Amino acid sequence: MEYLHSDIADTQQREKQHFHVLAVDDSLIERKLLERLLRESSCKVTCVDSGDKALEYLGLLDSQEIDRSTASSSFPQPSTQEGLKVNLIMTDYSMPGMSGYDLLKRVKGSSWKDIPVVVMSSENVPSRISMCMEEGAEEFLLKPVQLSDLKKQLQPHLLKLPVHPKIDITTTSNDNGNDRMIIDITMNNNQNVVVSKRKTMTPEPLERRPQMKGLAVI
Amino acid sequence: MELGQMQGRLAEFTKSLYMEGILDAQFLQLQQLQDESNPDFVVEVVSLFFEDSEKLLNDIARALDQQSVDFKRVDAHVHQLKGSSASVGAQRVKNACVAFRNCCEEQNVEGCLRCLQQVKQEHYLVKNKLETLFRLEQQIVAAGGSVPMAEMTF
Repeated sequence: MEYLHSDIADTQQREKQHFHVLAVDDSLIERKLLERLLRESSCKVTCVDSGDKALEYLGLLDSQEIDRSTASSSFPQPSTQEGLKVNLIMTDYSMPGMSGYDLLKRVKGSSWKDIPVVVMSSENVPSRISMCMEEGAEEFLLKPVQLSDLKKQLQPHLLKLPVHPKIDITTTSNDNGNDRMIIDITMNNNQNVVVSKRKTMTPEPLERRPQMKGLAVI
Repeated sequence: MELGQMQGRLAEFTKSLYMEGILDAQFLQLQQLQDESNPDFVVEVVSLFFEDSEKLLNDIARALDQQSVDFKRVDAHVHQLKGSSASVGAQRVKNACVAFRNCCEEQNVEGCLRCLQQVKQEHYLVKNKLETLFRLEQQIVAAGGSVPMAEMTF
């Protein structure tokens, strides 16, 4: 039964091509920063301000789960609910109410368990870090999160996307800062990664214009 | 003042903020995240910070003014302020918060009040400095120039 218009289907197809990150932090400043960093890395971002809101978004709130278990079998399963796709969850550790650790546990015990969860904290507490890693966190990042940390995090995930991503990692050389090395990582039709390097010269001195290309997924 | 002079003055002023430890590399990161698609990013983040921090400082003052001080509550506020100041690169505010948390642990009201004063001072300082920075930038842009990217070569 065809109940989707072809253009809606196209949008959904395009949506699927974007790497979607669910960012959880109670601080507005942190959310704004993280959103900017993620968009700089060509990710689609959804920000929520608490663990409860994150669970609600994922359809994991107890009330939502009860509805589902009494629903008829024609309802889609939680992880593919209405085409909802989340590729990565990034959560702050210290939040009022549900902590990032609690959220991690809930996610890992749900139908979203295969989604990587990155925990962030401004405090470097080894026991906290190992606790999160043992619970299945993909990574533990110290705040403030740097764009370079994020690039390192996202790169292996972006390479796994079904469509062929083209990733530009622009780095400046360390001698006179005028040379630029651009590394093109593309995936050919055989799902092989092809890496090629090229050098460009920056003609003008550094100015406030788009410098950080980050990861551009086309 | 002609454009070149204004840009030179901005560069010197910015450099001094880093040298004096008022700003750290995180502020540079914020500047690097500003581009044509996000032209006011730094001002937006900094404004959010000052809105947030002023409220936190008031909450802390009120908490310390209680008959029976809830040090956990004070510490929670200071922790938040520490986090947000670190995120915008306000290094001296962040450091003052670290010292403040130690006072909270000691549960010493007098010590905490002194720490609060210190944090407020640093907060006031960075606010003034950033207002000057943004004003200098605006002057350059108004004169048709572009703002040179700060480099951490010192």
